[in-house]
Amino acid sequence: MSGLEGLLQGFQTAFAPGNLLACFVGTLVGTMIGVLPGLGPVATIAILLPATYHLDPTSALIMLAGIYYGAQYGGSTAAILLNLPGEASSVVTCIDGYQMARQGRAGKALAIAAIGSFFAGCVATVLIALFSPPLISMAQSFSAVEYTALMVLGLVGAMVLAQGSLLKAFAVTVLGLLLSLVGTDPEVGTRRMTLSLPDLYDGIGFVVVAMGLFGIAEILRNINGAQSRALVADKLDKPWPSGEDMRRSVGPIWRGTALGSLLGVLPGGGAILSSFAAYALEKRIARDPTRFGNGAIEGVAAPESANNAGAQTSFIPMLTLGIPANAVMALLAGALILRGVTPGPNLIDDRPDLFWGVIASMWLGNLMLLVINLPLVGIWAKLLLVPYRVLFPVILLLCCIGVYSVNNNTFDLYLLAAFGLLGFILAALGFEAGPLVLGYVLGPLLEENFRRALSLADGDGSVFLTRPISAGVLAIALLLLVITVLPAVRRQRQTAFQE
Amino acid sequence: MLRRMFIAAGAVSLAVLATPAIVTPALAQKFPDRPITIVVPYGPGGTNDIVAREVAQKMQEQFGQPVVVENKPGANGALGTGFVARAKPDGYTIAIAPSSVLAINQWLYKDLPYDVEKDFQPLSLAGTTPNILLVHPSVPANTLAEFIALAKAKPGSIAYASMGAGSTGHLNGELFKALTGADIKHVPYKGSGPALNDLLGGQVQAMFDNLPTGIVHVKAGKLKGLGVTSLKPNPMAPEIPPVANTVKGFDATAWFGFIAPKATPRPVVDQLSAAIIKALNAPDVRERLEKGGLTVVASKPEEFAAFIRAEKVKWGEVVKKANVKIEQ
Repeated sequence: MSGLEGLLQGFQTAFAPGNLLACFVGTLVGTMIGVLPGLGPVATIAILLPATYHLDPTSALIMLAGIYYGAQYGGSTAAILLNLPGEASSVVTCIDGYQMARQGRAGKALAIAAIGSFFAGCVATVLIALFSPPLISMAQSFSAVEYTALMVLGLVGAMVLAQGSLLKAFAVTVLGLLLSLVGTDPEVGTRRMTLSLPDLYDGIGFVVVAMGLFGIAEILRNINGAQSRALVADKLDKPWPSGEDMRRSVGPIWRGTALGSLLGVLPGGGAILSSFAAYALEKRIARDPTRFGNGAIEGVAAPESANNAGAQTSFIPMLTLGIPANAVMALLAGALILRGVTPGPNLIDDRPDLFWGVIASMWLGNLMLLVINLPLVGIWAKLLLVPYRVLFPVILLLCCIGVYSVNNNTFDLYLLAAFGLLGFILAALGFEAGPLVLGYVLGPLLEENFRRALSLADGDGSVFLTRPISAGVLAIALLLLVITVLPAVRRQRQTAFQE
Repeated sequence: MLRRMFIAAGAVSLAVLATPAIVTPALAQKFPDRPITIVVPYGPGGTNDIVAREVAQKMQEQFGQPVVVENKPGANGALGTGFVARAKPDGYTIAIAPSSVLAINQWLYKDLPYDVEKDFQPLSLAGTTPNILLVHPSVPANTLAEFIALAKAKPGSIAYASMGAGSTGHLNGELFKALTGADIKHVPYKGSGPALNDLLGGQVQAMFDNLPTGIVHVKAGKLKGLGVTSLKPNPMAPEIPPVANTVKGFDATAWFGFIAPKATPRPVVDQLSAAIIKALNAPDVRERLEKGGLTVVASKPEEFAAFIRAEKVKWGEVVKKANVKIEQ
């Protein structure tokens, strides 16, 4: 059966009333938990798992998948409105999305995020249908060597994320890397920088770092005299993107979708990189990079498209190989195994109804998300007119609930406070949190893959240069570094663009 | 509408957080008279979590009181397990823990926040599950004997992946090295998924993976399955012989069981254990768990206690013999 025939069959499955309802419930629940900072899809799916036992496996998977991409989607709402990234993928959305909100353009940011996500979802669905096998073989040709090169490129990209001083961006990226080393050594199990606290043996949770540095620090900044304002935004612009906004967003949405679809297939880290990469790319190729960080709509459109495309293509390794690319996929694979359906290379032939039904439901789910969310855009944006004295306690409470619910551990709340303070101090000194978080997220992946690559090559460092993909990626990283660091080159580049 | 969203969102968050916070000091005439918490010392989704949630649902029906599963992940299970060691021994806080927590980690880590013998009262061994030795098709060995011969002929040429330093896959590999004298190189990953991915891509040559996730690739012809780590073949893969058939004394089954704090009153221990055993023997629970690769045992407290002691001695010898070191 060809991909398109399969997809048609899938739509028949997905349009069955029960499955349609499952898809709606899933996307709705997903949107809600996504909006609540810190409440992730992993916990929600685990808790709802027993409730899906009476559904047939196809409906169950359609619903659980809906929760997953619905949450990706809802996560951007909290990031844009309140500067609260609940997941790694929405960290970059904060940068320009929150600035847009402060300028009263929250509705535009939310709408473009919705439209970009929907477009990316449509393209990713077709990509899954047509190109699963070649994408899989691409993912498998990636070894630790290629991943190492990719992470190096990602870290160089962190410098590009920076708006101000490169030296400062470099410093916070390194700080992020150092923080990511706290915990248990992945190779030999030794504990590092844990102060003998068992709570630190697994390192510092991402949600704690991101919410502390962005959300809590933002609250501290706002109640701190000089910047004090009564409202997030003093006035509200029209909630719908103008023709100019749409024109600016077309390219970023396309490029974000392409990057996200490719990187999403890579297990472990690919999906995390996609939104960062999409943002860095847009900033690099922009005529006027200074607009980024000050509410550029491209800075919302590109990463939001990328993370949604990545969330969907990350189903490819799970459904076609039985290999989960992240914790959510591992849960979904487990849910299928308990129902006697084993995800793996034979799934497409054994259960074509399930495989194609789920893929078709993703397209439907994205349509539902658009329908659920577009009418809400105006209402969400009005949230910004709620006075801070009411909004702050609510945000703080939600942050605490969210952070606590990840591990059910009160220690994480103290850490949250500490990172809030760190974020406040960094901002006061003119350091940005974005590159820090990127260093923090990429650090463990870089370390793990670098050490694994060397261990497999018996300590021979030349593998990074002799394997073509790795050498190519490293060359791009070097090039990027050169054009970022050398001011002369940069000046020339800008004049060249203006001509 | 906004208000409604918030109420709905609040309801979801409450459901997610449903943690029994009410502690009544009144004398419990009848156990249980309030909700019971089962602590899972890992994140949601693993075997511990799945077993706990299956059992919790059935216990709830039996007791007429809510039975709540609470994930307290961290430090290879030590955080959540340590929490239960210090919990009030009244039967309202119990835990599920795997072989690594109850019989292996004390040999690997110096500073565990619990002592299995002193802190816990075993309730029931829920079940066992073996690992499977997988090799990439490019490895010129179709039987375990051929694989051992190959590893000995070319020392260091075979790399084996594991789910992490100190994981069952790692200990299986080290036990294998100790018993056969074969020189294979350990490459740890974070979890079974990425390790399998590299094995399928041929970046590493071998791996001891959990049976349910590993066997899929053998059945699809993408990997070769050379042996299961239990003493008997597993119904999920009857055609794969035990490693012990070739390597004398290789017995390395992972297991999962329920425990309570040590000083829990005997009648409460008996009630809990009976409820857990009944839950595990419910046909629908058994069927789902067995599909997931678990051999359901459902033993009594004394049997489980003796089992833990025996396993602890066995793994102590393995760690010493194989010279597995985690903490310097």
